[in-house]
Amino acid sequence: MITTSTSPLLEVRDLCVDYDVGGALALRRRTLRVVRGISFAIAPGETYGLVGESGSGKSTTGRAILRLTDVSAGSITFAGSDIAGLGRTSPLSYRRAVQAVYQDPAASLNPRHRAGQAVTDVLARHGVTDRAERRRRAAAAFEQVGLGNEHLTRLPSELSGGQLQRIAIARALVLSPRLVVCDEAVSALDLSTQAQILDLLRERQAETGVSYLFITHDLGVVRHVAHHVGVLRAGEIVEQGTTSRVLDSPSHEYTKKLLAASLSPHPAGRAARRAARVAARGGVAA
Amino acid sequence: MRTAFRQPSALFAVVVVAVVVIVAVAAPLIAPYAPEAKDFTAPLSGPTSAHPLGTDDLGRDLLSQLIHSARTALLVAVGSVVVAMLIGVPLGLVLGYKGGWYDRIGSRGLDIADALPGLMIGFVVIAILGQGMAVLILAVGLVFCMNFARLTRAITLTERNKGYVESARVSGLTAPRILFSQLLPNLAAPLVVQAAVFLGSAIKVEAALSFLGLGLGEEQPSWGGMLGFATQHTADHPEMAVAPGIAICVTVLAFSLLGDAINDSLSGSRRLRRTKLLGRVLLDDDTSRTRDDQATTADETPVTRAAGTAEEPSGDLVLALRNVDIVADRPDGGTVPLIQNVSLTVRRGEILGLLGESGSGKSMLAKAILGLLPAGVRLAGGSITLNGSELAGRTPAQLAALRGTGMGVVFQNPQANLSPVHTVGRQLIDVVRAHDATISKEAARTRAFELLDLVGVDDPERRLDQYPYQFSGGMAQRVAIAVALVGEPDLLILDEATSALDVTTQAQVLDLVLDLRDRLGMAVVNITHDLGVAAETCDRVAVLLRGDLVETGEVHAVFDHPGHEYTARLIAAYPGVDDESPRLGTHDQRKVEHA
Repeated sequence: MITTSTSPLLEVRDLCVDYDVGGALALRRRTLRVVRGISFAIAPGETYGLVGESGSGKSTTGRAILRLTDVSAGSITFAGSDIAGLGRTSPLSYRRAVQAVYQDPAASLNPRHRAGQAVTDVLARHGVTDRAERRRRAAAAFEQVGLGNEHLTRLPSELSGGQLQRIAIARALVLSPRLVVCDEAVSALDLSTQAQILDLLRERQAETGVSYLFITHDLGVVRHVAHHVGVLRAGEIVEQGTTSRVLDSPSHEYTKKLLAASLSPHPAGRAARRAARVAARGGVAA
Repeated sequence: MRTAFRQPSALFAVVVVAVVVIVAVAAPLIAPYAPEAKDFTAPLSGPTSAHPLGTDDLGRDLLSQLIHSARTALLVAVGSVVVAMLIGVPLGLVLGYKGGWYDRIGSRGLDIADALPGLMIGFVVIAILGQGMAVLILAVGLVFCMNFARLTRAITLTERNKGYVESARVSGLTAPRILFSQLLPNLAAPLVVQAAVFLGSAIKVEAALSFLGLGLGEEQPSWGGMLGFATQHTADHPEMAVAPGIAICVTVLAFSLLGDAINDSLSGSRRLRRTKLLGRVLLDDDTSRTRDDQATTADETPVTRAAGTAEEPSGDLVLALRNVDIVADRPDGGTVPLIQNVSLTVRRGEILGLLGESGSGKSMLAKAILGLLPAGVRLAGGSITLNGSELAGRTPAQLAALRGTGMGVVFQNPQANLSPVHTVGRQLIDVVRAHDATISKEAARTRAFELLDLVGVDDPERRLDQYPYQFSGGMAQRVAIAVALVGEPDLLILDEATSALDVTTQAQVLDLVLDLRDRLGMAVVNITHDLGVAAETCDRVAVLLRGDLVETGEVHAVFDHPGHEYTARLIAAYPGVDDESPRLGTHDQRKVEHA
């Protein structure tokens, strides 16, 4: 397993992100700190799982790394250069290196565009001027995610959730990025589709050495994809380390609570688990 | 599209608009005279055989003027709507996409512009630039551009946070490209509807301006101008106002109705596409199975183990489904099977897990039990009994009564189950009183208090006076459960009731359900896509695959030795957190099917 100490690809240090909460006419700017000084690093070819419940700031962290939201304090170093100061219009070289896959497959493609255009648009922006070349590379990208030529001309409404998510992955990977931010990328998918998409992501990683920042609420998914895990609560990382260390011998109370609440894939021992949960809540049944 | 135009109002709109367009285009051919041709022998003739609508004070034929006015009306209407869209749509796109200060200042600007009467804007523009066709188009266009800007901004605001726009930004696409290539196509439908409606309104505004003598010069015929002229002769020729008046009314009405019809047909085609999709997902979309395959699986006996099938005589049977078939009616008269030959039982104190992926029909089955099947979907066969009495074939009123007392239901989105404008207490009390008309207000409140207490809401007295938005997702779901428990139902149906909750909250709500079952002895049907929910809470599980029940059995038996290949596949796919052998790195490369 790759350790993060050897020159990380991405290093986040004391990252803070604030949101404006003042009304439209508020004179005084009021802000809410949603990410409170978190630090972590991702090595090349590694998957870092960022786990947290809703409102923990995990998606905001992803958006800060994608340069879609302003950074209030701290630094984000990508391949040796600080990108926290980059404006929302980041250089194309960064856009090429860092990509994203989102949760809702139905919303991740433009409903009015043919599926292949999702990929060709990106190629056109990144200097592939020849139309036939764009089409050829789109077809190749589709093939890599297990889709055929016939899917290139489909409209999103004619495709299933799993197929849409495959296309979103094809779009993210077509520029050979070094980091892909997967924001709940499998949460909206059916179980069997979810397993296939996780397999696909792993397969692409093994082949290209891409790193993933895997943002999810699901500890089970993290167990299966991540090398390192950070547990986020209310904007702070309460615990991080290798996946097996964090999930098998958690040291923080919150991690233990999350693990206790995670559903087991088998009914065996559930009475004991229920009793433990009730006891942890101080004996109150629910 | 065709179905929408079968409506009489839509047909009327299309015919009228078509007639107006034809008349406008072919005006010189249809009109008996040139509009400016003066017949000095017959000024103000009144209706005659030579001049069916009469003539004006210079002897110009009013019918010819009316016909040529259609040209003016359409030209001004189309021109001004184009002007309004050219100004309003880019403005709205920028405001909605940029957000922040652009939007704050821009939106206040739109509010101010909206507060100004439209005609006033028209007056000012004409006063500054003088009369003429181009100025009139600009003036009317300015009246409507704010509406286009507002509509565009609103849609852009909802679209810009969707994944495809974010992905475009992440890919480095430039803002203009995102606005015009990604966002604009998604605005087309609502803009077309809005444009059709505004075409009518523009004709109205043009007529008003021309009526006031501010629109076009004397020499340019227009309906408003004709109406203005007619008012000078109300005493001697009252009939002169009738024809232009009718022309304005009918045309404006037709454009409005056309807008409605387009709107209906757009949303209609979306509806149609969805039913088509549903049928496809259930029938033949997926990887391997064809219709023939499905027929064989339907005949296949589902795997059923453990005691407790319907045959066993038992007094504590709460719900029994026998050979239930549910179909969706297709517009062409055929049917799409959604649920085939499903038999299930649930006893008092038992939690049955209904497991299935999207499109398996699990929610449709719940709706059938509740008697809430959507229009076009019906129970085609079989029986559903609750406490021994048959539900199939009941009237909606009888089912409604049963829903309250015999069964309660909790859906996925807790906030959507509660009305945002009433306090939680008021909603609970309303339900309590609906069940017991004789109960006093105080007693109903006490009952509501007890229910909140029962579902583990802290400080119920204070919480009763709060609004749903003051409740977190888990707390709101507890309230939804309390509402479901008002009638002390024998059967509680949970339809993905914990799927939208955080893991810790989900565990609490599931524990609450277990606890309520232990204390109240209800039967529970827990519909879920989450294998873990079934493993953790259910006594028995039933697995649905595309409308077929492929397996039922005691939960440990099913998880230990799944009897159907599909169940085994689901269990293998579940990423458990305490998995002994995580698949990371060691996973076999299954050939990727088209998911």
